This record gives sequence, structure tokens and C-alpha cells, in this order.
Amino acid sequence: MKLKKSLGFLASVVLTGGLLAACSSGESSEDDVSIDVFQFKVEFKDQFEDLAETYEEENPGVDINITTVGGGEDYGAALRSKFASGNEPAIYNIGGPQDVEDWLDSLADLSDTSAAEAALPGTLDGVTMDGNTLGLPYNQEGYGFIYNKRVFEEAGIDPTSITDYSSLEAAVEELDSKKDELGLEAVFALPGKETWVTGLHLSNTFLAPEFNHNVLDAYDSDSVEFTYGEGFQKVLDLQNEYSVQPTASLDYSQQVEELFSLERVAMIQQGNWVYGSIEGIDADFAKNGIDVLPIPVEGYEENAMPVGIPMYWGVNSNKDEEVIEASKDFLDWLYTSDIGKQVVVEDFNFIPAYEGYDASKIADPLSKTIYEYSENDQTIGWVFMGYPTGWGEDELGANIQAYLNGDMSWDDIINSAKEAWKSSRAD
Amino acid sequence: MRTRSLSYWLFLGPALLALFLVVFLPLLLGTYYSFTTWNGIKTGEFVGFSNYITAIQDQRFLNSLWFTTKFSIASIILINFIGLSLALIVTSYIKSSNLLRTVFFMPNLIGGLILGFIWQFIFTKVFSSVGQMIGMESLQGWLSTTDTGFWGLVILMSWQMSGYVMVIYIAYLQGISQELIEASHVDGATPLQRFRYVIFPLVAPAFTVSMFLTLSNSFKLYDQNLSLTNGGPANSTEMVAMEIYKTAFTTNAFAYAQAKAIIFFIVVAFITLIQVYFNKRREVQL
Repeated sequence: MKLKKSLGFLASVVLTGGLLAACSSGESSEDDVSIDVFQFKVEFKDQFEDLAETYEEENPGVDINITTVGGGEDYGAALRSKFASGNEPAIYNIGGPQDVEDWLDSLADLSDTSAAEAALPGTLDGVTMDGNTLGLPYNQEGYGFIYNKRVFEEAGIDPTSITDYSSLEAAVEELDSKKDELGLEAVFALPGKETWVTGLHLSNTFLAPEFNHNVLDAYDSDSVEFTYGEGFQKVLDLQNEYSVQPTASLDYSQQVEELFSLERVAMIQQGNWVYGSIEGIDADFAKNGIDVLPIPVEGYEENAMPVGIPMYWGVNSNKDEEVIEASKDFLDWLYTSDIGKQVVVEDFNFIPAYEGYDASKIADPLSKTIYEYSENDQTIGWVFMGYPTGWGEDELGANIQAYLNGDMSWDDIINSAKEAWKSSRAD
Repeated sequence: MRTRSLSYWLFLGPALLALFLVVFLPLLLGTYYSFTTWNGIKTGEFVGFSNYITAIQDQRFLNSLWFTTKFSIASIILINFIGLSLALIVTSYIKSSNLLRTVFFMPNLIGGLILGFIWQFIFTKVFSSVGQMIGMESLQGWLSTTDTGFWGLVILMSWQMSGYVMVIYIAYLQGISQELIEASHVDGATPLQRFRYVIFPLVAPAFTVSMFLTLSNSFKLYDQNLSLTNGGPANSTEMVAMEIYKTAFTTNAFAYAQAKAIIFFIVVAFITLIQVYFNKRREVQL
């Protein structure tokens, strides 16, 4: 009996101890500089980790740990909990002015890096505050109407002739009239369920001119006017009318994989990031069968591609000086060393946001076309990172779903969006 | 109970500590945060009840609360009806009743997210193909309107939860003494009368349990909602849990979302307690 009791006592002590021990985190004891990278781009995770290994080999004293958490809102939530747990990363991602403001206390000035110097003009606008550069661009991305070259050819349409809204409309009508012989279900696939496609990307095309293509102008603006709202409605209606129905519940994977990659629609509004998905389904089609057209903004520039920076690298200023310096060196090496440059273009399939790259190495046709537009200055800026928080997707994008269903008129959408912008800026 | 020795507390300690750390502490912290301007990074200043006042005037929050209530009513009725029917079927003397039990319970073993995606496929693809074949317009375009989204969620939830509730009913049905059933036979009761006056009152405790479970589960539903409709179209099928999540993580209004969560907690606790109180009174004691 006595033995049993003391055994029980021991067991409970062990249990309690174990519980408490589980709460305290282990400390690693290394003399090396260890850089924790917390990043969101799932698409290039493996290639990025390989590159980091190469860097570790070249720089024996540096240890790089990469953690990847999927894009969108999940990343923001994960980053917050990472900071809250006290386990702060040295390098992390920020999206635009709102993120810069939120994380201001934890962002180091990067203006002395050579990557910041090499960054293309305008790409640092969104992360510059009081003369400090607080982020370095990942890459450039662009979007437009990605089209099926074979279908266009068979229908006798020359894509280079599509330079404004009326020629686009004519081409769409032409395709629609021949859709049975071309084997198409419809001309477009408009994913109304993805509020970012309509509420962020499409709206950006028509709002960027209003804000001088500058994300900070949008961020500082107290109101939105929809100067080119009519053109916005026309392009949305065109896509909706000639799309696979019902559009309000059509999602990204249906649009890109099921409908476009299997050549059941001729055109989709997407960006160069879909290349990987299309390649995964039909590599030959991805390489030789697709290209991208701009979205025409009536009354403004009808032949310009929306090109921008999706995400920036930030360095945590709460870390030791040594870690901050090592992080900067790593980012510099990533974008300005010869090996880094090569990997960025060839393995990451990035459109570089820095000077001194060999553009002919860009392999995929979408990125190539977008880069050409960017070289010719035929671009529209990305300002949606400067929208009020949640405005693009939850307000505009959600209301567009109601519009696609016929439950809301266009005027109501515009008025409601204007109101929502004003009220969230008034706080 | 009489000896509260050291080892008594030591054994209880781990459980108490765990409960305190993962339930009470977050609840207390959360309540505190709901009175501040916390944005997930910085705690911010103390603002009193202003988050709560904004929340009860927030049309979107109220809409989602109303939608959730409607959803819960529909799914509680349907789940309990189907669950009890299934239980009656598998406890009657039919062959393969063991196999049927397994089959009916199976959906409950699949995670909510996966179920959502499976049913999304059924609603958008299978329904529309069948609709095209037999020429029924109403089977097309499911999940693209508020009504079809609502019924889609109810069907999904009923399909998943009915098997679970069935197991609870089976337990009570089998606990009914054979003598009472036989007595009703002797008295010449029809099967319907037997069900209404003998079986039904005796499985009343099962109603208490099942309704409690279905009520709290339907109110707190998130993953099925996320994968089936993601709140669309136009946020009209957004349930409270999802609305709170979006407030917190897409608009970064953490304190505000916390205040909504506290309101939600109070509402659910209130409804559940009332439900249990009334159901308990209905139970018969033999």
C-alpha cells in the first residue's frame, strides 16, 4: 500500500513536470548566425530552400531556416502568432503600406543594401517611409487576359490587333459565334467566387489611373471616384456575358485548371502566376499555346498591362545587429549576385524587379510578354495594396457577386463602395 | 471525497493546470482584449464598451447571426428527425442492421473541410449534370445563390451529423425495457401509438443530449462553411464564426472581433442552457 502511494505520487510529479516542460521552448546553442526566414510564397519553396543551402555552403558561419506558410490571410495570421510567441523571424514578408504601418516597430532600414539600389524605379514606393526603405521587392507580377493561341488562330483573329476595348469586344463576339467549331464551352471563365480577381485585380486596372499608379496615393486618399467606372462595368459585363455560368460560384481552380488548361474556354483574366498550374496539366500547352493581352481601360490607356510588386521582404529590427547584417547580406546576395540572378529568373520563374538581369532568360511566355510591356513603359500600377483593409475583397468583390447574380445594380455597387472607402478612412 | 491529501491535488493538478491554461486564461485575456484597440500586434489603449456597441450595430454581424440562427433551426430539426429515423430502422429486426449502422455513421468520420469540398463537387457538378439530363432548371447553379447556399449547408450538415445522433438514439432505444413494449402489444397499441406514447417519452433524455450537440455544433460551424461556400455570394451565407474570423484576420480588427466572439459566446451559452433546462423537465423518470 505504502509503495503504491509513493508510486502514484511520483507519477503525478512526473506528469506535472512534463506538462510544464512542454511549455518552455528549447534554446539552441550555436555560435553561428542563424537567420529565420518566414515567407509566404509556396510556389517556389523548394527552389528557395535549395538556394539557401548554396548560400550556407558559401558562408559557413550562417545558418538559414526557412518556414513557408501559404499565401493570403493565413500568412498574416501566422506571422502575428509567430511574433506573439516571442519566436520572431529575422526575415519576413510585408505586402504594402498597411503592413508597413502595422509592423513599423519591427522593420529595419534597408536603404544601404545594394539590392535597394538596384530595385527598379517605383518598386520601392509602397515600402518607403520617412526616407527609410523598409522592404525589398520579391519580384514583379502582371495580369491581363491570358488567351489560347490556337483558338485565336483557328478563329482567324490576330491577337496583336486587339489594342482597345472595341477590338476586344469584336474578337470576343467572333469567338462566341464560332464556339461550337472551336470546341469551346464559352469564351471566358469569370471566377466571381474569387473576390480578389474581381475586387482587387480587375478593379485595380480601372482605379490605378485615378491614383497616378501610386499605391501611396491610394493609401492616403480619403475617397475614391471611379473615374473610369464605366469602362470597369463594360469589361466585367463582357466577361460575365460570355462566361461559363454561373459566374458567382466559379472558382480559381475551375477557371484555370478545369476550363482554361483543358482548352474549354479561350480567355481568362489571370496573371503570370498561373503558369505553374497550367504547366502541371499540359506542359506543351503552357510553353507554346498561351500568351497574355492587356485589359483595356476605356478613356485612358487601352493597351497597358497592370504590373506590380506582390510582396516585399522585411528585416526584423528587434534582432541583434549581427543577425540584421547577415539578413541584409543574404537578401543582397539573393538579388545581386550572379548565381542569385540566375536562379531568380531560371528556377524561381520570377520577373525580376531589379536592374541588371538578362531578360532573354525568362522562360515562360506570360512573364516574357509582361516584362516586354514593362520595358516599354506600357504599364498600369498596382494600387490595391493601398485600398482600405478588406475593402477590395469583402466590400467590392462581394458586392460584385451580387451584381453577377442580378441582385444588385451597378450604381448601388459604386455608391456602396465609395461610402465604404470614405467611412473606413474616416476612422 | 473525504481525504484531500497531497496526492489528490497532485493528480488533479495537471488537469486543472491544463484547463486553466487553455480554457480560462484565453477567455480572461480575450475578454480583456475586447475592451482595447488590440490589432494583433500591439495591445493599444483601453476603450471600454465601444467595440461592443459597434458590434451590435454592425449589419454584417447581425446578418450572419440571423443566418446562423436560421441554419441552426433547420439543421437541428432535420438532423434529429433523420437521426431518430435511422435509429429506428437499424434497431428494428431487419437484416444487415450492423452494416447499416456503420454506413450511416461513416460520414461523421470524414473531416468537415473535406466533406465541404466533396459536397461542393456534388452540388455544382453532379446536380447540374443531373439537372441537364432530366431538364430540371432548379438543380442548376447551386451554391451561386443565397437560398441554394443555405440548403446546401443544411444538407451537408444533416448528412454528416445524422449518423452521430443516430448512435445516441440507438443507445436509448436499446435501453427501453422489453416488458414495456410487450405490454403495449398486449394492450393492442398500433405501432404509431406505441411510438408516440411508449418509445418517444422514454428516449427524451436522448433528445436533450442530441439537441445540445446539434445546437452547439451548428452554431459554431466554420470549416464546412469555409469549404462549401466561403460565405458567398456577397457574404450572404457567412456564419458567425466565419464573420468573426474575417473581422480578425482580413481587416485586422482583432479587438473588435474579440468583442463579437464574446457576444457570440454569451448568445450560444444562453440558448444552450435554456434548451437543456426545458428538455430536462420533459424527461420521464421510471
